[in-house]
Amino acid sequence: MWTRLVNGVVCLAVVGIASGCVDEQHPERETAALAADTGLTDIDPAVAAFNAQRQPGELPVVQAAPVDRWAGPGARPFEVAVRTSKQEAGHPRRFGSITLETALRIRPVSQYPCTSCHFGRTVVMTDDRIDDAHQNIQPVHPEETGAVCSTCHLADNVERLALTQGAPVTLTESYRLCAQCHFQQAEAWAGGAHGKRLDGWQGRRVVMGCGDCHDPHSPAIQQRIPFRAPELERARTTHE
Amino acid sequence: MSDDGNSVTPDGAEDGTVLQKPVDRRGALGMIAAGVATGVAAASACRPLNAATPEERELKVLEWQEFTQKHYRRMTDAERAETIRRIERLAKIRHDEDVTIATTDAQPGVVFGYAFNKSKCKGYRNCIEACINENNLDRASDTQYIRIFEMEDGLVNLEEADATYQHEVPAEGHFYLGTQCFQCADPPCVPVCPVGATWQEPDGIVVIDYNWCVGCRVCMAACPYWARRFNWAQPEVPLDEVNPNQHYLGNRARKKGCVEKCTFCIHRTRKGQLPACVEACPTGARVFGNLLDPDSEIRWVLANKNIFRLKEELATEPRFWYFSD
Repeated sequence: MWTRLVNGVVCLAVVGIASGCVDEQHPERETAALAADTGLTDIDPAVAAFNAQRQPGELPVVQAAPVDRWAGPGARPFEVAVRTSKQEAGHPRRFGSITLETALRIRPVSQYPCTSCHFGRTVVMTDDRIDDAHQNIQPVHPEETGAVCSTCHLADNVERLALTQGAPVTLTESYRLCAQCHFQQAEAWAGGAHGKRLDGWQGRRVVMGCGDCHDPHSPAIQQRIPFRAPELERARTTHE
Repeated sequence: MSDDGNSVTPDGAEDGTVLQKPVDRRGALGMIAAGVATGVAAASACRPLNAATPEERELKVLEWQEFTQKHYRRMTDAERAETIRRIERLAKIRHDEDVTIATTDAQPGVVFGYAFNKSKCKGYRNCIEACINENNLDRASDTQYIRIFEMEDGLVNLEEADATYQHEVPAEGHFYLGTQCFQCADPPCVPVCPVGATWQEPDGIVVIDYNWCVGCRVCMAACPYWARRFNWAQPEVPLDEVNPNQHYLGNRARKKGCVEKCTFCIHRTRKGQLPACVEACPTGARVFGNLLDPDSEIRWVLANKNIFRLKEELATEPRFWYFSD
């Protein structure tokens, strides 16, 4: 609640002053700056502090929590890019003269921020009336697994994620929630076999988070039309 | 003086100089050629006086110098710099393009490796789209370094695979396998080249000196993976689509009659960036890194996943592995 209030008030006030600045006396300014950059409303002050030194153009990141078996290659610490609620969440990159969205999930988060409805006690999250406001959200997993809203979301704060153990985390650390069940994927992700590294094979290791590719409310990969096919007719006919 | 003892003097003088400048056979040929070119330009200029502009004369000289330039690996640093200046100037004169051509050498202690997750590839071909634009591939003949093969689940049979699918992907009951140049550790394409125009760099990338290539296509026959492409015509890239960030051994302008292939985006990877195909892949099916770094992602994949290589029995030792979840 403290963070949310701070965000709501400070975000508008100090965006211009605080962005890019390091001010150890005022952690709320770092939080507000990160909130302005990412469009996220609920930011962990520790995450904001970690991003305080960020250069313009650099992605906001979260340092991956040191969880058992997630050490990754060489037990090196790595960083997870923060998925923002803005359009550039698709990580556009330039190749020659074209720019491509390089993440699978390029649409911004719909109906964000959650606090526009779930603020105070005006709309209370329930597990059985999801169709009232979230027709676009289908039960994530087959019903037999019994997943409902509160399986992942904190009952009294929708923007926090409820871990089975430990304190709730913000949306920027959603990988910790996913990894509770998808531990095999999490291990491969930390190792580099699942997910995707951003911006180079050398130097800092920044990887995409789970939500960059998988819509948390519809994680399956969608079908679409691919880039045009090569013209191999000549090769084919010579072979036959 | 040249180091191979083949120095000649066009005028027969014993001191081996032309205009007091040490010169070898190739250098002498180049100078004669440049002189002839200037003469030709001057002669043609004589008909209507000054018809050949200074730029046209410069172009003729540069083209002759390009024709007689040394093999890339035998160039001194100064000659490399001059060659780069020449190519950049030629691009400016011919197409009014401002390109930057790097000659970045391999980083010490780096050998590149590549892994492809066949469980993750969904056949979107974004890698191909990025590759075409990043590497200035010929648009007219639709040259593509990468092929994505659609295959039936349970089979790895490239004979039956379809690289020309055009429908919504991923298709039910199919998986996708991408191929490109595998930068083999023992590349069969290299020793067969009759002129030594292709070789392996210290970081494992097999490269081609496009100016030295004579277009005999023997390397294409030697490659068991169909990784090389031939320019039957002068490659065409629309001027506004040219990637000006180029490397001599990579994506610079190719000429008609030379062979080209994937270089793991040598102009990017030698600067620490990822190849365009890796960066463009929307599913994260492509892993790239330094094989000599035990803490790299590629090494983690090789140590922890089930991996295989294509046509491994040929012992070409591709530095390109396939793995699955």
